[in-house]
Amino acid sequence: MSAVQEALPAVRSSRDATVRRFALTDAIFHATTRAAAILVLVLLGGVAISLFAGSWQALSTFGFSFLTSESWNPVTEKFGALAPIYGTIITSAIAILIAVPLGIGIAIFLTELCPRPLRRPIGMAVELLAGIPSIIYGIWGLFVLAPFLQTTVQPFIISVFHGIPGLNGLFAGPPYGIGLLTSAMILAIMILPFITSITKDVFDTVPSVLKESAYGIGCTTWEVTRRVVIPYTRIGIMGGIMLALGRALGETMAVTFVIGNAHRISTSLFAPATTISATIANEFTEAVGDLYTSSLVALGLILFVITFLILAIARYMLMRIDARTGA
Amino acid sequence: MSTAASLHQSRKRKNGVMMTLCVISAGIGLAWLALILGALLYKGLAGVSLSVFTEMTPPPGDAGGLLNAIYGSIVMTIIGIIVGTPIGVLAGTYMAEYGRFSKLTTVVRFINDILLSAPSIIIGLFVYELMVRPMGHFSAIAGAVALAILVIPVVVRTTEDMLNLVPNALREAGTAIGAPRWVVIRSVAYRAALSGIVTGILLAIARISGETAPLLFTALNNQFWSSNLNAPMASLPVTIFQFALSPYEEWQQLAWTGALIITLTVLALSIFARSLTGRREDK
Amino acid sequence: MSQMLSPDMTIAAEAVTKAKIEVKNLNFYYGQSKALKDITLSLPERSVTAFIGPSGCGKSTLLRVFNRIYELYPKQTAEGQVLLDGQNILDRSQDLNLLRTKIGMVFQKPTPFPMSIYENIAFGVRLYEKISKAEMDGRVEQALKRAALWTEVKDKLNASGLSLSGGQQQRLCIARTVAVKPEVILLDEPASALDPLSTAKIEELIDELQADYTIVIVTHNMQQAARVSKQTAFMYLGELVEFDRTEKIFTSPREKRTQDYITGRFG
Repeated sequence: MSAVQEALPAVRSSRDATVRRFALTDAIFHATTRAAAILVLVLLGGVAISLFAGSWQALSTFGFSFLTSESWNPVTEKFGALAPIYGTIITSAIAILIAVPLGIGIAIFLTELCPRPLRRPIGMAVELLAGIPSIIYGIWGLFVLAPFLQTTVQPFIISVFHGIPGLNGLFAGPPYGIGLLTSAMILAIMILPFITSITKDVFDTVPSVLKESAYGIGCTTWEVTRRVVIPYTRIGIMGGIMLALGRALGETMAVTFVIGNAHRISTSLFAPATTISATIANEFTEAVGDLYTSSLVALGLILFVITFLILAIARYMLMRIDARTGA
Repeated sequence: MSTAASLHQSRKRKNGVMMTLCVISAGIGLAWLALILGALLYKGLAGVSLSVFTEMTPPPGDAGGLLNAIYGSIVMTIIGIIVGTPIGVLAGTYMAEYGRFSKLTTVVRFINDILLSAPSIIIGLFVYELMVRPMGHFSAIAGAVALAILVIPVVVRTTEDMLNLVPNALREAGTAIGAPRWVVIRSVAYRAALSGIVTGILLAIARISGETAPLLFTALNNQFWSSNLNAPMASLPVTIFQFALSPYEEWQQLAWTGALIITLTVLALSIFARSLTGRREDK
Repeated sequence: MSQMLSPDMTIAAEAVTKAKIEVKNLNFYYGQSKALKDITLSLPERSVTAFIGPSGCGKSTLLRVFNRIYELYPKQTAEGQVLLDGQNILDRSQDLNLLRTKIGMVFQKPTPFPMSIYENIAFGVRLYEKISKAEMDGRVEQALKRAALWTEVKDKLNASGLSLSGGQQQRLCIARTVAVKPEVILLDEPASALDPLSTAKIEELIDELQADYTIVIVTHNMQQAARVSKQTAFMYLGELVEFDRTEKIFTSPREKRTQDYITGRFG
């Protein structure tokens, strides 16, 4: 015992120096991590500011008409964003329409129907596919899907809807293969893994006792899913869909390959069109003149604002689900 | 009685129909993805040869390889990781450790999640405005910075998540022995969360190695061998983009082969990353 | 004989040994809710004191005030005084890391660091002392011997601390605490996650350690308190109900609530 007590005074003075050093190094590390965290905020702020600054020339030249004009003419330097905005929204909307039922169907399959040993491999495959770069989907869409649609599916649909008023406008024109619908299909397959894996994750948050009691009163699998699981996870599924929508809206490479890059608004889903991101990707490096470049940056700003809002809503919804399961 | 029985029948029928639809959607999803991977393998493998890895990208209509593009991708990915990882790890550390209960953390987490899924082409535009325009020319370093900005949110997210999984008891034990907070973080928390953080970094590598849009107007492209960071540099994704949209068959073939190389790299990285965390969870 | 002493005289008899920790009018808050109410007691040096009481009574909270580990979390505040050798450790100028080198703590669940057995012990020592490899080897061996773990691990010092059994891990944590030469050791239900055999070993260890250290143990196990401690404090709903020699608490408590608790009527 005396060893303990005797050691103390000798140790104490060196300890005081150490203590001071620790206080300093800890304060430095604390400040460094805090600065890094703030840098994340600065990044997003920097993105917003630089886009705004870059697009200022276009916005001040065209004013509000930038949003409402369809013309995109580098020669006369008249730029309007309506066509790309239209293309972006239509392709994303159709992609969501295709991918959501499929994605939820796959999630139900994985949680309720899939034989247990297959669950992990299939779930894993779905998640891996979410990581495949979008350029892969683009190249496949251009060389495989588009020719296939052009030679078989599109001529068939055009002939079927030919005489039907209303619908013939939707599927009109020569079958190019590329265009709005092809882009939407590529986007759908790209966001499918996202929707599936988020839906599967929120399905897993349903307390099993809730499902068991529904089965206990004689519900079928579909009824349990429809009446218990989906209502319980509604916010989470919506969040997942919004997240996927955010991705679809901003997706660049997959769409750029197959959209056709035509600055016009066409009612036909088979017509070539353009999206915001495809326009930027295709034209930015070739843009001559400040106004042209500024107009492209302004497109980027519009995309940024739209996706920011969509993603913010998505995150808010997913946070609510997290808060519930965390409590 | 009979109405009850028929009701039961119709409910069962409806269930059968819906469940069949679910199986069909799974079938469609898997088949679709199999088609993509199949085409990729079929078309990509046709062009695989040693020259892909030893020769430069050819002029139109000539045979060649992808060496300079592969090199450029590796260089910019490495720089992107080196720049982005420390920032991401530090920010994640703040959120899970010093600032765990602070308002700032809530805000940063929200913003970071938005950055995580923000369109990468926007990041490209940002870096164009930030670096390319002031410098007056495209450069590899601008491309690397764009990639770094994509790395940060991925690493922030996984670092925070993994540090949050470290039991508080371990932090308390480190603190109780007289270690200052940063030593507890460095020697106890990081160690306990290491495999998870490494997984996050690998996933970040997987993500940026296929990114095209942010490189288009930062690093641009370069048909020749260049190791100058201050000059445009080729990258695999941008080369694929350019070659695939060209009318030349040799270029299109190289694009497919490049696509196969990227996909296999990304899949290998993701599987490796997941196996790391998988083993940790088993413990 | 002790039975014949009046309560006043008992306290007088204990006052002969120096008080290591004196708690004066301590209040503790989790946010708005008060978890400790006006606690006053003094813990004698080189002796084992047990805190008992039903869960939620504040016994662990009180223990966590002594090394101010609660400061890791927001909205936890302590008011009043806790004197260690006459110095108020709740004082704002008190350096927390230094305080924690003087007051070590062992937790409910074993918490080996994710490193080797050797490093688990060397880690704490290295923080404040620059010593040679040979000296460090000696310190590690000494600490492991102190924790009665040496013979079991001396051939695998480079194995991970996580590879040990639960009881061994807990003794490793005690060794780790002892190695930095603290003056007080706080034990927060150190055996609650262990099997009876490991528990017996830990209790034996506590008995040996009190020759050198002031020990405070929180336990929900009354037999354990009776076996290892010299003084026992019974707490209930954030209040210190009774504090006396262990023998007295378990044989003739003054308070009815203490009596009810130790006879198992609640808790």
